[in-house]
Amino acid sequence: MNPAPLVLIVEDEVPMRRLLRATLDAHGYRVVEAGTLAEGHVAATTHNPEIVVLDLGLPDGDGLALVRSLRTWTRVPIVVVSARGRDDDKITALDAGADDYVTKPFSTGELLARLRVALRHAATPAESAPVVVLGALTIDLERRRVTRSEVEIRLTPTEFRLLALLARHPGRVLTHRQILREVWGPNAVEHAHYVRVYLAELRKKIELDPARPCWLLTEAGIGYRLGDGLGG
Amino acid sequence: MDPRRYALGTRLALAAVLTGAATGIAGAARGMTSDADVVMLLLLAVVFAAYALGRAPGLLSAALGVAAYNFFFVAPLYTFAVADPRNLFTFAMLFVVGWTVSALAERLRREEAAALSRRTDELRSALLSSVSHDLRTPLATITGAASTLLDPLVLLGPEARAELLGFIREEAQRLEGLVSNLLEMSRLAAGPVALKKEWVPVEELVGTALRRMDGALNGRPVTTALPATLLLVEGDPVLLGQVLVNLLENVARHTPAGTAVRIEAGKSAEGVRISVIDAGPGLPPNDPATLFEPFERGADPRGPGTGLGLAICRGIARAHGGDMHAETLATGGAAFSLVLPCGVPPTFPEDHA
Repeated sequence: MNPAPLVLIVEDEVPMRRLLRATLDAHGYRVVEAGTLAEGHVAATTHNPEIVVLDLGLPDGDGLALVRSLRTWTRVPIVVVSARGRDDDKITALDAGADDYVTKPFSTGELLARLRVALRHAATPAESAPVVVLGALTIDLERRRVTRSEVEIRLTPTEFRLLALLARHPGRVLTHRQILREVWGPNAVEHAHYVRVYLAELRKKIELDPARPCWLLTEAGIGYRLGDGLGG
Repeated sequence: MDPRRYALGTRLALAAVLTGAATGIAGAARGMTSDADVVMLLLLAVVFAAYALGRAPGLLSAALGVAAYNFFFVAPLYTFAVADPRNLFTFAMLFVVGWTVSALAERLRREEAAALSRRTDELRSALLSSVSHDLRTPLATITGAASTLLDPLVLLGPEARAELLGFIREEAQRLEGLVSNLLEMSRLAAGPVALKKEWVPVEELVGTALRRMDGALNGRPVTTALPATLLLVEGDPVLLGQVLVNLLENVARHTPAGTAVRIEAGKSAEGVRISVIDAGPGLPPNDPATLFEPFERGADPRGPGTGLGLAICRGIARAHGGDMHAETLATGGAAFSLVLPCGVPPTFPEDHA
C-alpha cells in the first residue's frame, strides 16, 4: 500500500469528522472530507479514494444512496458508520455492497481495524489466496481441507461451503442474506435459521469452546465474521 | 369507556336509533303496558345514550323520546298536541334525567382520566429524578476532566493526563449504556414490540453476550453449562442477547471482583431456561419479583445503574411469551433466569454430499 491510502470521510457532524481526520492522519492515511451526500458524490469521483468511510444519516439524503451509486462503477471498499439500534440500515447497506460497518459510538481502534481489513481485502482478490491461515486454524480452499493445530477437522459439504465463504472474506462481516444466497442459493434467503444452525455445528467442530468462539464470530442481528483466532 | 373515540355524528345517530328502538318496543307492547312503562323504556334509552354516548346524544335522545312519547302515546294520538298538561311535566323529567346522567357520566370519566394522569406523573417524576442524576454524574466527570486537560494553567504529567482521559472514556461509555437502556425501555413501554423472531441456538446468544461483555466483567471467571445437543429458542436474537448482557452487567455491578459466574441452559416442561448464576452475596431480602420493576435498584438505591436493566429483561421476556425469575441459591449466590416457551423447532434440509 504505497503511498498512504486516501480515505474519503462522508460525515455531516463536524466534531466527528475532525476526530476521524485527526485519527486517520495520525495513522498515516491521507484524508478527503465531505459533509453531505452531494459532496460525497463529487469527492468520490474527483479524488478516486482507496476507501470510503460513510455515515448513513446525512442531511441531504440516505448514505445508502451513495453506496448504491458507487457500486455501479467502483469496487472501492466502503465502511459504513451508523448508530446503535439501526441494524436494518446496516444490513441494507451491506447487502447493497458496503464492505463493513462500525456502530456509533465506536473506539478509533475498532474503526482502524475495520479499515485495515477492508483495504487488505480489496488488495487481495478472494480467488488469489487458496490457503487461509488464522492462528491455529488453516483452511485450504483448493484441497478442501481444514486443520486446527495440525489436526484435520472433517466437515460436511455444506459446513465446508459455509466456512469457505467466510474464509474468502476473513475479518469481514457477511450478512445472513449474503451467506444464505452463496451457500444455499437465492431461494433460501429468508431461512436465517439454516445459517445459525450450521454455524452452531461448525463451531462445535472448530472452536475449542463453542460458547466462546474465537473464529466464528456472531455480529448480533447482522451476520457473521471470521475472526483471527486470537479471541473476541 | 370514552365516548369521544367516535365522531359526534356517529354518536348522535346511535342515540336516535336507540330511542327509535325503545319507541318501537313500547309500541309493539301497546296494550300490555301502562304509560309509566313507556316512559321507563324511553328513559332507559336516554340514560344509556347519556352515559355511553355523551351529553349531546343524551339530550337528543331525551328530545326524540319526548317527541315520540307525545306523538305515539299521548292523546290526541299521532299529533304533537298535548291535551293533559301533566304530560308536560313528564317531558321535562325526561330532559332533566338525560342532562343529569350525562353530567354525572362526564364527571366520572374526568376523574378516571385525572387518576390515570396522576399515576403517569408520579412515574414520570421518578424517571426524571433517577435519569437526571444518572446523566449528570458522568457528564460532570467528563466536563471536569476535559476542562482540566484544556486548562493551560494546569500542568499535568503523562500519567495524570492518561488517567483523566480514561475517566472521560469510561464515563462516556456509561452514558452510552444509560441512553441505550432508556431508548430500549421507552420502546418496550410504547406498546407491542416488533420482534424479528427467528430460531437461534442458545449457544450463539450466550457467545455473543459474553463477547459484548468482554472486559466489562473485569476478570470474573465465567463457565458455561449448555446442553451437548443443539438447543434452539424462537425469538429476536438481538433482544434475547440483550437480556443476557443486562444480567451479566448486573453481576458485574453487584458482586465483588473475582466472583465466579456460570451460565446454564436447558429445556424442560416449563420451557427453555437460560440462567446467569453468580457466587456473589445473593438477592436483597425483599420479594425477588420487585427487582424487575422499573427503577428498582435492590438494596442499594444510590448504587450504579438506572434500575432499568432487569425491567428491560422482563419486558423482552414477556414480549416473547416468556418471563424472568430471580432467586437466592442455597449456596448464597443469585440466579436470574430467562424462561421462554419451547415452541416447535424447524426442520432442515439434508446435508448431502
